[in-house]
Amino acid sequence: MMAQEKISGGKLVCIEAHAAGGKAARVKITGDFFLHPEDRISSLEAALVGVPLDMGEGELETRLQDALGDGILIGATCRDLARIFCKAVKK
Amino acid sequence: MRWRVIDYAENDAFMNMAIDEAVSEAVGAGASQPTIRFYGWNPSAVSIGYFQSLDNEVDSAACAREGVDIVRRRTGGGAVYHDTLGEITYSVIASEGLFPKDILASYREICGWIVDSLAILGLKAEFKPINDITLNGKKISGNAQTRRGGVLLQHGTVLHSVDVDRMFSLLRVPDEKIKDKMISSVKERVTSVAQENGEGRDSLYRSLVKGFTEGKTIEFGQLSKKEMSRAAWLSRTRYITEEWNRMR
Repeated sequence: MMAQEKISGGKLVCIEAHAAGGKAARVKITGDFFLHPEDRISSLEAALVGVPLDMGEGELETRLQDALGDGILIGATCRDLARIFCKAVKK
Repeated sequence: MRWRVIDYAENDAFMNMAIDEAVSEAVGAGASQPTIRFYGWNPSAVSIGYFQSLDNEVDSAACAREGVDIVRRRTGGGAVYHDTLGEITYSVIASEGLFPKDILASYREICGWIVDSLAILGLKAEFKPINDITLNGKKISGNAQTRRGGVLLQHGTVLHSVDVDRMFSLLRVPDEKIKDKMISSVKERVTSVAQENGEGRDSLYRSLVKGFTEGKTIEFGQLSKKEMSRAAWLSRTRYITEEWNRMR
């Protein structure tokens, strides 16, 4: 399952997710956005692993925001990631 | 504050990225001065952003046929075709404390040096957030920044001439059906120094050196032996490897 979006005024984000038993099993976030520090991407991906596929965008955004912590995402927001993830798993 | 300026030199893609990292380490350790480095890519290469998928962004078979290297950067941002003769790349490597804490403000400051450089050639460019410089609304420079271990590394390219058809023969597009349309659109949205006023690459380089160094105490220097040997090691063990380049 995959969805991608060019964020208005921002960057391209692509999210690929594999599902198992109604939950996201593997998640990969790619694109031309910036994230400081870069290795925080693993935390963002991990925050989406194991979530029920029907989890709402608001709850996903909170999980992502917690995982981002003091990291800085440029060209996309946690809300964008949550929305694109939902799009991907609904495909 | 005295800056070290490393004069233009060409390396392959793997060594170019390794030198930026080796210098960042040396600056972080206090072994090297803040550094402005100018460089070129020989052979021509495609670099992809840290978060990009190589397979999604680059036609590896076409690059192999054309002898074009592919390397993943330590910085985010998009895929860039670096033509040996078509551009000049720079890196700025210094303690984070020398720049605004706000990342966009630091892009604006360093990109301002490029704007100043182009002004020397009579070209009125402007910084376009997040990380571009445009001239009459067309992109002429792309830039990317990372901060690790208290060190800021920003690198970027300034286009001297651009061959959009060749660029798209090496990069993948999301939808092959609209490739021709995308090429036309990019041709309208990208420009270069040669296209704007016909200035040569040497003139562009001289203006970049002036624009980057104006008002600073500088000395032209070289990479240290330690930086060179560390870069050679990083090139061999990281930047040339499939593990690094296909990690996403």
